[in-house]
Amino acid sequence: MTEVPNRDPELVMRLARLGSFHQSRLSFKRVLTRRMAAESWRFDCTAFEIDGNGEGHAVYTANTPERTYSLIAFAHDLPPEKRSDRVIAEAWDATFTLFDGVPEDADIQRLAQNIPLQEAGRVTGRELSVSRANRSVRLWEHVVASLAAGDQPETAQIEAVGYLMRTTAVYGSGKLGAADREMIADRPEFRVPFQVEMLSVYLTRWFVTDLVQHMACCRAQQNGTTAAKLAPQIARSLGIGNSTGLGMAPFLLNHPVLFNNWIAARETALSRVRGIDIAKGADIALFHELFERSTLLFAAWQSEHPLQREKLAALQADVVALRLCLQTIDLSAPHPWDRLYQWAEQNLSLEGQEWVVSLLLEPYGALVDDLAETMAADNTATFRIAGSMTIADLRALLERVYHWAIETDWSLPANRARAWYVSEEKLEPRLGERFEEPVEEYEQPLAPGRDAAALHRALSHWPDDAQVAEFILRHPEHRHALRRAQIVGRAPYAEIRDNTISERVMPIDMLRCKLAFFGATKFDPRSDRWLRISMYGNAPLPQELTSDTAEYWPYPDLPKGDA
Amino acid sequence: MTYSLNEIEALSKRAARGSGLAWGLAEEAAKGTRWLSAFGFQGTDLLADLLEMNDRIPAIDVSPVSLRAAVWHAPARRMSPLIAGASLSDCAVRLMERGSITMENVCVPLLAVPFMGGAALRLGHPVAVEWGGVRVATDGRHLCLHGETDILYTRMTTEMVFSTPAKMTGTKEPVMRASVSPQSWDRLAVFAHRTFAPATDESRLKGAGAGLNDND
Repeated sequence: MTEVPNRDPELVMRLARLGSFHQSRLSFKRVLTRRMAAESWRFDCTAFEIDGNGEGHAVYTANTPERTYSLIAFAHDLPPEKRSDRVIAEAWDATFTLFDGVPEDADIQRLAQNIPLQEAGRVTGRELSVSRANRSVRLWEHVVASLAAGDQPETAQIEAVGYLMRTTAVYGSGKLGAADREMIADRPEFRVPFQVEMLSVYLTRWFVTDLVQHMACCRAQQNGTTAAKLAPQIARSLGIGNSTGLGMAPFLLNHPVLFNNWIAARETALSRVRGIDIAKGADIALFHELFERSTLLFAAWQSEHPLQREKLAALQADVVALRLCLQTIDLSAPHPWDRLYQWAEQNLSLEGQEWVVSLLLEPYGALVDDLAETMAADNTATFRIAGSMTIADLRALLERVYHWAIETDWSLPANRARAWYVSEEKLEPRLGERFEEPVEEYEQPLAPGRDAAALHRALSHWPDDAQVAEFILRHPEHRHALRRAQIVGRAPYAEIRDNTISERVMPIDMLRCKLAFFGATKFDPRSDRWLRISMYGNAPLPQELTSDTAEYWPYPDLPKGDA
Repeated sequence: MTYSLNEIEALSKRAARGSGLAWGLAEEAAKGTRWLSAFGFQGTDLLADLLEMNDRIPAIDVSPVSLRAAVWHAPARRMSPLIAGASLSDCAVRLMERGSITMENVCVPLLAVPFMGGAALRLGHPVAVEWGGVRVATDGRHLCLHGETDILYTRMTTEMVFSTPAKMTGTKEPVMRASVSPQSWDRLAVFAHRTFAPATDESRLKGAGAGLNDND
C-alpha cells in the first residue's frame, strides 16, 4: 500500500461537487442490506387486514439475531384532491411506523389513532420512525389494471416511473415523540446513521408490492376473474420513490460533525483504494463489470430539469471517455486506481468524477466497509467552545477555512440575496428573497460563510493574545460562528465551502449529497429546491436477500451474453 | 406526556432564540435544557421562567462584567445562568487553575448546572457547585445531588460557588425520556412562535419551490 492523502476539503466541500455525489458501498441502504444478509435476518408478514377499498393495516417484521422490528402500515383510500407530496399535506395513501419489537393489539389501536395523522399525532419511545407515502397515480392504476386483467404491466411504464409509492417524509430521531437516536444508537444494527429509516423504507417497499397485488386481486374478484401475479423481476425493479424538499437542506449545515464523518469515511475509503499498489485480476474484472452495469443505471436516469439534463449529457460523454480510457489504461501496472482517479479528475465532469470515486470503492469491501462504523457522530465533545484559544489562533483558523468567505463582498445584494427561514406551517424550512420578502428577521443561521466573515471582521481590533472566551462574552452574536469554526478546525469536512445564500445557490445540491449517502439513485430535480429519487430500485425483496444479492443490486444486470 | 429529548432541545432552541438570545446562546440553552430533562429535572419549566424574566433584554446587562474578576457579577445585578454558565464552560481551564469561581446574584441557578457537565468532560474531573445549602456535582455523565428541592428550583440565589476537582457521591444516571408539563411546553411555544415567519401564498409557492404538479 502507498499512502495517498485524503482529498483536500477545498476540493471536496464545494456545492457543485457535493451535488454530484452518487451512491456507494458506504451508502446507508447498502450498509443495511449487507448486514441483513450477513446476519440472515428473517422477514415475516404477520398481519394483512386490508379491505377491498384498500383500507386497513398490515404488519411486517424483521428479525435480527437479537431483536424484532415491525413496520406497521396503515393503508387509506385517499381522494385524489387530497394527495400532495408537500410537507404541509394532511392526508396520505399510506402511513407507517417502525415499532421496536412486536406490537400488541393495544399498540396497533393506539397507533391507528396517531400514525395516520402524522405531525398531528403523537408516538412514544417504542416507535422508531414515522413516515408516509403516496401512490404514483400514473403507475399504480396501470399495474392494478394490468394484473387484474391477467397481464403483466408494461415495462416502458414501469421504467418511466420506477416506483408505486413515494414517501414524502420519513421521520426518526425523536420526532413527534419517537425514540431518540441515543436510545438505540448502541445497538449494532443501528450504529451506522439512518439505519432505522432505511429499514423502514425497505419494509415499506415490500408492503407496497403486496398491497398492489391485493388491490389487483380484489378487482379481478369483482370481475369474476383471477389476477396475474406480479412478475418477480418487475417487483424487484420497483423502488420506493421519495419527494424531498428544503426540509433536508439545513440538515447538513445543522450537523457539521456528522456530515464531516460521512465525507471523511468516503474520502478515506477513496485514499485506501488509490493506495493499492497492484490490483488483482478479479478486482479489475469486477470494476469493468460494474462500470458497464452503472451505464445501464444512467441510461434509465431521466430528468426534465434543464440543469440535470445538462449534467446527464456530460455524464453520458464521461461514460464514452471512460470506456475509451479503460481500453488503453493498464490496470495491471502499479498504482492503477490512483492513476485512474487522477485521469478522471482531469478529464471528466464533476458527475463523472464522483461516479468514478463510487466505482473505485466497489471491488474493495474488505478494505473499506469497516469505515461505515465511523460515520455516526456524538456531538457532546465538539459542542463545547474551547475558550482558551487565542484570538491569533482563531484568526488563522478562519483565514484557512473561510478565506473564500472573507474575500466575498457581502455588501453586494447578489451575495446575500436569499434567507433561510422556517414557516409557521408545520415548521417547513423555506428559502426567501431577502430584499423582496419580509423574512430577514426570521433568518436561520444557515449562512456559515457570511457569519464567519463577520466574526473575522469583529476580531480585527482585538489583540492576538486575548482569549476567545473574553471576546465571545462581549459578542454573543458570534458564538454560533465561533463554535462552527472550532468544529471545522477538528473536522475538516464539516463545512460546505460555498455561499448558501447567494442568488445562485442551488439547494438541490445539498439534498442530492445527503440522498446519495442514503443510497438513492435517479435524482430528478423538479425545481432548484425539491427533487424526486428512487430508493431500493432493483434491490432484492426480503425473500430474495442473500449474500449473493445483497451487494451490487444498485447496478442493473447486464443483458445475458454481455456479462 | 413524555417527550423525546430531541423535541425538548428543538423547542428550547427556538424559544431561547425567540426571547432574543443570539443563536449561539440559544444552542447552549437548548443543550442545557435537554441535559437537565435527561436527569429528571423540570428543565422546560426552568427555561420558561428565565425567558419570561429576561425577555428581549440586552444580553450584556445580565452577563459577567469580567471573567478575570474574583467574583463574577452582572451590571444589572442579576446574572443569566445561560450566559454565565456558557462562560464557565468556556473558561474550564481557568476554573481548574483557580480551583473555584464564584458568581453573584444568579437567576434560576439550576440552569447553570449543565455547563458544569461540559467543563467536567473537558477537564476530565468532576465539577461541583453550591448555593443556599444545595450541592450538585457532575462528571458530565452522571450527577449527584444533595439538598432541598425548593432551593434547587429557586429563581434567584445570591451566590453560587463552582469548584473542581470535586467528589462524586451517590450518582444519578440520565434517562432517555422526559416528562414535561403541558404548561411549560405552551410557555416555551409562545417564544418559539416568534421565530416562525407567517405563511403566505407566495412563500408557500416560491419559498418551498413547489408549483410543478407533485401528484402524478
